[in-house]
Amino acid sequence: MTEKLFTAMRQSVIDGDPDVAMELARQALASGVDPLAAIDEGYVPGIHVVGDQFHTGELFLPDMMAAAQAMQKAIAVLEPEMAARAAHRHVLGRVVIGTVKGDIHEIGKNLVGMMLMANGFEVHDLGVDVAPERFVEVAREVGANVVGVSALLTTTMVGQRAVIQQLADAGLRDGVKVIVGGAPVTRAWADEIGADGFGEDAVGAVAVARTLVGA
Amino acid sequence: MRYAAGFLSETDQDRVHEASLRILAETGVRFHGERALPLLAAAGAPVDADAGIARFPRALVEATLATAPREFVLGARDPAHDYALPSPVTRYAIDGTAAFVIDFETGERRYGTRRDSELALRVFQVADMGVMAWAPVTASDAPAGTRALHEFVAMLRASSKHGQHELHTREQVPYLADALTVVGGGAEAVRGRHPWSLIYCPVAPLVHDGPMLDAYLDLGSLDLPVMIMPMPVTGTTGPAGLMANVALANAEALSSIVVYQLAHPGRPVIYSSATGSMDFRTGAYLGGTPEMGIMSAALVTMGRFYGLPATAAGCTSDALEPGPEAVIEKLVTMLPPASAGADIVVGLGEIQGDQALVLEQILVDNELAHYVERLVEGIAQPADGDLVAEIAAIGPGGNFLADPATRRAARSREHLAPALIGRHAYEAWRDLGSPSMYGLAREKVQEILAGPVIDPLPQAVEAELERILAAADSELA
Repeated sequence: MTEKLFTAMRQSVIDGDPDVAMELARQALASGVDPLAAIDEGYVPGIHVVGDQFHTGELFLPDMMAAAQAMQKAIAVLEPEMAARAAHRHVLGRVVIGTVKGDIHEIGKNLVGMMLMANGFEVHDLGVDVAPERFVEVAREVGANVVGVSALLTTTMVGQRAVIQQLADAGLRDGVKVIVGGAPVTRAWADEIGADGFGEDAVGAVAVARTLVGA
Repeated sequence: MRYAAGFLSETDQDRVHEASLRILAETGVRFHGERALPLLAAAGAPVDADAGIARFPRALVEATLATAPREFVLGARDPAHDYALPSPVTRYAIDGTAAFVIDFETGERRYGTRRDSELALRVFQVADMGVMAWAPVTASDAPAGTRALHEFVAMLRASSKHGQHELHTREQVPYLADALTVVGGGAEAVRGRHPWSLIYCPVAPLVHDGPMLDAYLDLGSLDLPVMIMPMPVTGTTGPAGLMANVALANAEALSSIVVYQLAHPGRPVIYSSATGSMDFRTGAYLGGTPEMGIMSAALVTMGRFYGLPATAAGCTSDALEPGPEAVIEKLVTMLPPASAGADIVVGLGEIQGDQALVLEQILVDNELAHYVERLVEGIAQPADGDLVAEIAAIGPGGNFLADPATRRAARSREHLAPALIGRHAYEAWRDLGSPSMYGLAREKVQEILAGPVIDPLPQAVEAELERILAAADSELA
């Protein structure tokens, strides 16, 4: 019975169907299934299948996004029970991501966030027009070990430097890896401002994040 | 007959219009900033102040469309470059606000500077298919708080064609107004001749940037025309289907027109777009695709549907270096909007998804523009309407080499004479050192930049612009 449930969970992620994924999560809870087991043996294997097929070119980025969203919504259903059991998912890293102050562009940041989540990271998306202090505040609050800072304009990318400086001032810099990205961002800029990595696109950003956390 | 093509039937145009009205009335549009929502509320639009969202009744859209002028002239610092809208031909703007330049000497990709803008605009000044200047790169050497001002002034200096650029905050407005009135000979002259305009891009889907929109509304005092350029990308910031993305772009354009007309009824607006599509492997933006060309053309058609001056992005390329990929993509994105009758296609000179300026590409693109123009001009009837007399006179087995009509044709527009594409026999071409289109363009760039600045500003005006920028840097940077 549980095996059948896990198989269906895996398929709901492969299909990118959040409604089915959420319903299966509710069934798991009603049946007393350990929520961590549901994630690790049900949903995560589905993401692995999708990830493998994405890398071989059989599936596209929108398929990855749909799978990630389905899993994210299922996990949201399971989270209260996980909290009640004081259970914590194993994640590759905890990421705080946002677009800098003065910039309201977010599609690139959204893509990176979803890809990181699909690849086993816990992601806290702060949205757009985010003050540097807010990056620091949430990084401290969630115990982040990765901060992703996005900027689309040359006039706002200076905000990436400000975030790095604020992390240093708050005494968090040594425990946090900073990845920067956005259309005007280059490897040279990332080096100049002391970032740990630079993602040219969503797929590249995941690879950088994995390297930085030693995954 | 002129070659006219379109991708939207009359029924399609009605569908897009109705869909856009539904989007505006039901989904609504988010406005950041201070000025737009009160304007819309006062005009009877339902406004959710907490969410920052306004919904647009049909009647409001129709009423404000009616006040937008159907024709006006984009003036220029040199009146010989004035450009009347709508236009019977398609002309071009230089592409703008790239973050990078491919250094002309070293070939290295680096961040752009004010000097890069000025050099590029000096090349563009000579490009005969170009009518609208734009700051081609962002000025990384200018302070972030006044960068747009520096970029605008670089454009004022380097080109006497109509100039268009952007501004980012209301605090920058007085400085730009001062600069334009100094160069334009006074506020009345600027209002009357419209030598400069603004480019405005909503943030897809359905969001308006606050500080920029507020600043542009403030600049209504100078009656600066606004080119409204929505930019939804299929599959990311817009729906994946081309028709639905066209409807979204159209809705964003209409929402912009409503606000600008409410603030200043009769202010000139130019319908435009810069759509793109998504790389389904990486999520990256693609601008050099057939899909982009199709959507540009469709949106030109929608601009004409409203009777407005209609322009669109085109001549765009994702190529990472100048060369054949750039040429393919630029042609594929130029021909559709030109054949749909675009007044202006934006723009020449950039690759890497509009992020890298290449000086010689400006002239290569100018050559492509001539090819496109020749295609669109189509096939003409002979002046005397006679298709037979000449053939009958030459007869079977003769030749037309020295025929008077052939002599006239050698000098006519009916047969395009390219400027950069040499036509040599193979051995002769080798003897000449195998010249290439890009090589000839580079030689031309060197020649232009070695010569004097065309239409330089008077020294007194230059000094005043420096004073204005210094004051802005001191107070805003």
